[in-house]
Amino acid sequence: MPSLSYREKSLYGELLADLAVFLPYFVYMHLHDATLTVSIIAASVTLLILIRIVLQGIIAAFSRSRLSDERDRLIRLRGYRAGYLTIVAIMLVLMSMLWLHSSLHQIKPEHMALHFLTVFFGVLMLAEVVKTIAQIVAYRRPM
Amino acid sequence: MPGLRNTLRDLRAARSMTQQELADQIGVTRQTVIAIELDKYSPSLETAFRIARVFAVPLEQVFQYDPPHGKKK
Repeated sequence: MPSLSYREKSLYGELLADLAVFLPYFVYMHLHDATLTVSIIAASVTLLILIRIVLQGIIAAFSRSRLSDERDRLIRLRGYRAGYLTIVAIMLVLMSMLWLHSSLHQIKPEHMALHFLTVFFGVLMLAEVVKTIAQIVAYRRPM
Repeated sequence: MPGLRNTLRDLRAARSMTQQELADQIGVTRQTVIAIELDKYSPSLETAFRIARVFAVPLEQVFQYDPPHGKKK
């Protein structure tokens, strides 16, 4: 097991928190009608914040040094770039699909806002996971 | 990194310096020192000069650049 810096441990904590919240969210949204979208999203965000605070607190308590250096900053930027590209690419595809379904009258106009919110939140979640994974991989790869 | 090599490990060993001690002196994490030693990360110019300063040697003695074969100047 390679030695991990504080920032790397923190990233694993972020990924754990993301997966703990996002996977049940996607499963729920897949199995149920999205009529409770706003409440579910609010609950997910709240839960994500709470889990992250607890995990980061534990990681910080067991880390001797919380120093962040130039390599950490470079990797952070790479992760944000990966996340941004994910947002742009997936948002483009999903918005096109939303528009297509809407044009074919498969989505009721009064439900459009809810569907948009679901897509928007889903894309943000995916981008967050991609960002974190990209950063974790960057720590292990030559750069 | 292709082309960029360093003698960090040798310089450190010659002075019986640990990775953590070097990291503390140049203001980076131990993991970054490990990455530099393994040629997995090219430090910034500022950090490179800091490293050379710690060992009191010219920069060229710490880092060497070998251009990839087949490339003209």
